[in-house]
Amino acid sequence: MKNKGMQISAFRLGAIAVMAIGLASASLTSVSADSTPTFGTKCTTEGASTGTSTNSLICQKGDSGALKWARVRISSNRQTPVPALHANAGTIEFHHWRAEDKAVFADIISKFEAANPGTHIVQVIESSNDYTNLAFSQIKGNPKSAIFVTSRGGQFTQFYNGGLLRDLSNERFVKSNVISSALTPGTVDGKVYGVPYQSLFNDPIYNADMFAKNGWSVPKNWTSLLAFCKTVKAAGIIPFAWPAATRGNAGQIMNSFLMNSAPDLATLTSRIAAIDTGKADLTQPWFVDIATKYQQMNAAGCFPSNVTGYNDTVAPADFASGKAAIYPTGTFGMSTVTNLNPAMKGKMKIMSLITVDTKPLYEGITNNTFILHVNAKSSSRDQNIARAFLSFLTTADIAQQYAVGTSQHVSIVNVDYSANIDLLNTSDIMGKKLLLAPRFLFNNVTTVRNPLEDALIAIGGGADITKTLTDTSKTIKQGLGA
Amino acid sequence: MFYNVSRRVLLAIFAIAVIVPSSIVVLGTFKKDIEIYTKPLAFPKHWSLTNFYNLIHQGNVFVPFKNSLIVAFFSVFFTLLIASMAAFAISRMITVTGKVLFLLFSLGLAIPGQVNIIPIYLLFVKLHLTNSLIGLILVNIAITLPISIFILTTFFRDLPKEMFEVAGIDGAGLFRTYRSIALPLSRPAMGATGIFLFVICWNDLLYPLMLITQSDKKTLPLTLIDFRGEYATSYSMLFTAIMVASVPMVLMYIFMQKSFVAGLTAGAVKG
Amino acid sequence: MALPAVAIYSFLYLYPAISNLLYSTQRWDGVTKAQFVGLHNFKYLATSDDLFHKIVANNFRFSFVVVILQTLFSLMFAIFLLKNTKANIFLRTLFFFPTILSSVSVGLIWTFLYNPNFGFINASLKAIGLHKLALNWLSDGRYSLYSIAIAQIWFHTGQMIVIYLAGLQQIPAELYEAADVDGATRWQQFRNITWPMALPTTAVVVAYTTIQTFRAFDLVYAMTQGGPMNSSDLIVTSIYNMAFGAYKFGYASAESVVLVVVVLVITWIQRRTLRVDYGSK
Repeated sequence: MKNKGMQISAFRLGAIAVMAIGLASASLTSVSADSTPTFGTKCTTEGASTGTSTNSLICQKGDSGALKWARVRISSNRQTPVPALHANAGTIEFHHWRAEDKAVFADIISKFEAANPGTHIVQVIESSNDYTNLAFSQIKGNPKSAIFVTSRGGQFTQFYNGGLLRDLSNERFVKSNVISSALTPGTVDGKVYGVPYQSLFNDPIYNADMFAKNGWSVPKNWTSLLAFCKTVKAAGIIPFAWPAATRGNAGQIMNSFLMNSAPDLATLTSRIAAIDTGKADLTQPWFVDIATKYQQMNAAGCFPSNVTGYNDTVAPADFASGKAAIYPTGTFGMSTVTNLNPAMKGKMKIMSLITVDTKPLYEGITNNTFILHVNAKSSSRDQNIARAFLSFLTTADIAQQYAVGTSQHVSIVNVDYSANIDLLNTSDIMGKKLLLAPRFLFNNVTTVRNPLEDALIAIGGGADITKTLTDTSKTIKQGLGA
Repeated sequence: MFYNVSRRVLLAIFAIAVIVPSSIVVLGTFKKDIEIYTKPLAFPKHWSLTNFYNLIHQGNVFVPFKNSLIVAFFSVFFTLLIASMAAFAISRMITVTGKVLFLLFSLGLAIPGQVNIIPIYLLFVKLHLTNSLIGLILVNIAITLPISIFILTTFFRDLPKEMFEVAGIDGAGLFRTYRSIALPLSRPAMGATGIFLFVICWNDLLYPLMLITQSDKKTLPLTLIDFRGEYATSYSMLFTAIMVASVPMVLMYIFMQKSFVAGLTAGAVKG
Repeated sequence: MALPAVAIYSFLYLYPAISNLLYSTQRWDGVTKAQFVGLHNFKYLATSDDLFHKIVANNFRFSFVVVILQTLFSLMFAIFLLKNTKANIFLRTLFFFPTILSSVSVGLIWTFLYNPNFGFINASLKAIGLHKLALNWLSDGRYSLYSIAIAQIWFHTGQMIVIYLAGLQQIPAELYEAADVDGATRWQQFRNITWPMALPTTAVVVAYTTIQTFRAFDLVYAMTQGGPMNSSDLIVTSIYNMAFGAYKFGYASAESVVLVVVVLVITWIQRRTLRVDYGSK
């Protein structure tokens, strides 16, 4: 599909632009941040940045080769940001799936309502699984849901085809307040239908404190990864707290396996499309290779024993309490960890999961599952309220409040991350070569992607590769044919 | 004796199986998550009402509670009204029509209401009855009519004929007989059936799940499911929500126990 | 006078049931135009959808296990609690308690109990040294269905106990007294008096339980959503997923028709075997 091609190829620009735009960093000499970044002083994490503003700093190698804080030029947008639009009175619903962000949004909403008396926004939150399955039918039948989110990929396409997305291309706040390269996931045929709000990175989070204490370093290729697992396991720690029992979170590592599984992006995309439409099945050599690697990880002791029973309540708990070294989901999981154990604040960093021994094509995964839209089918009054609220969200201080409060990176200009140590510590990934999460290239979630992920989970838990893949291929084939 | 021993042991096992989970839930409402995970059966270190506080402030249970109450109450009211009229009429009919009607409603007993989810969904979308409490009430009535009619018809048939012959002599019509004689007599049966229907409507998940998407129209079971968070479930909040959702049932059980039990097993055994 | 009842019932119960037949002959995703495909959906269900066969088999296994165990347990406990002693009355009240909870609550509570790491069941088993028995109750495809069955039995046994009590209390005490005089053992009394005389009650319990097992959407949805790998999927959850997950409304309607047929056949078989007579005196 044309827009997918655009999304992916343009995202290389996006990755570089994001790095160029807002990389400032703190002068981190240790993982816990007591010192604030200042221009010219030493720093430790190359690529870390303090934000997306003109005053932001990036940690990069100076002439002497030492890491120092330097100023970054924002290269891709030259417009000055515009203030929020005013809203008419009325009530609309804001549909999303991030229950974790509810409190922060509630505060932002009360600010918006104070600035716009008579206007009310009601948050409607559903679990992400339910949101994926039910949001389309729900929002289609509910014009009051004037502002809502979609997830990049199948869901975005579904809403677009259903005519529910209002064209936002000409909105000044879209042109001036949002990092333009970050708009790609919400753009179709050159027109902007949604504002991707937060950028998240589906790469494993590791306990940098624990690594430093034990003298471990992040494995840079497949062979060293397996060796790493053996070392960590011998020390009595669970290497990867992989929540295999909960499919939604277990599937995150699949992104990293996919990113380096093909010689180039076009091949990867066509391979995935072939499976998604049933033209190819799971017994393709490239997929069997991935499945074999899952098996190897299990054999090397990377996963906890009895991993198929290890769910997403236990996994972050083990990581937060120091029983596990790595929590392989993404930056979106950091707030759960710090809620379970506030002492983890400042100890988490992000790593690349490299599953090949050759030079990797990509070093990390990024995604945008929080694309904000205005409901094209709502009444014009409600659409205006939605536009005003959306513009409000794109103002720098509100976006910053959201970013810092929920520990997520955002796509808005002039945001400063220094106030949140975890955002700071993981912002270095923005400077690496990133791929938009390929997991979301599968459009047939219920019929293809779910059984496929179940198969990989079973194999990671020790099931026979050939039998599992053959059986699952058959299930997928029959499901597609019905 | 072997019998006595095994009887006590088995009864004890089932009793434990009921008491343990219930205690975990009840005690859990006063605990923090980490305590629930590590010491589920112990009394809380500090009996804290934070969970209730959080639930009321962030979980917004009032709206779903109110919705469940409205839906259940009106569903029961109208079902009892309509079913008793139909049941009485059927019990008086000696003709084939009576048997046919009865058979028709009995069909609904055998077929689970859930087979109709798709046609009802599609029908309600056309009629704009999605996201409406009225829609839920209508569906509940339709689904609970068969069992209500079944129970009430049996009951009316069991009433001795003499009671009605008096009215017949006076020339009263069917409806008059129903209203002045049958209805008052049927109070125990109606009470029991009413409670039975209330429990069904209060606890229903599938139809609300399908039909209600607007947050202000959700019912309690839907809200319970929402507590299963994206990345982790807070069991302390979940247990608190379960407690709140179960309160009406528990109260009815304690204070109206005989009718409650009779209702939930009504029509099952005939003399 | 029966008119309002007949009206609502026909419109919202019978008419939809029949519409199922109509929709089942179509292929429709809910958005684009519907396509008439005749009996294709049924043919596909019968011949090419192994997953559906597996799900039907799941449902049968589930019903079988629940019906047998729930009937046996409730009969047994009813016999135990037959006398109206204070202790017995207390226990009857206790055992009935789970019935009043919502199925969602029951599902979520049992999900907690079954948690492989800190759930009560595994924690207790590990504490007494039975590590081998601390299974992945809900995330292992071999056990998930049966774990849900256990929760279902816990849920409804109390209700069936009460039904059995009503039936057992109608058996004249003289029969037992006479048997005692004759020197019959407990087991003989059960076989020759209790069981045959409680047969109509048994028929009701079996029928009621069976219907419950085909309706157990709530428990599955709250506990496993059908996983892992469809090992705990029932027909009714498959219908829901087909319609609202895969947007195949026609196909889901075909599955609904299959469900109706299956339930009717089972009900008919049960009535024949256990000679239940609805609605006659």
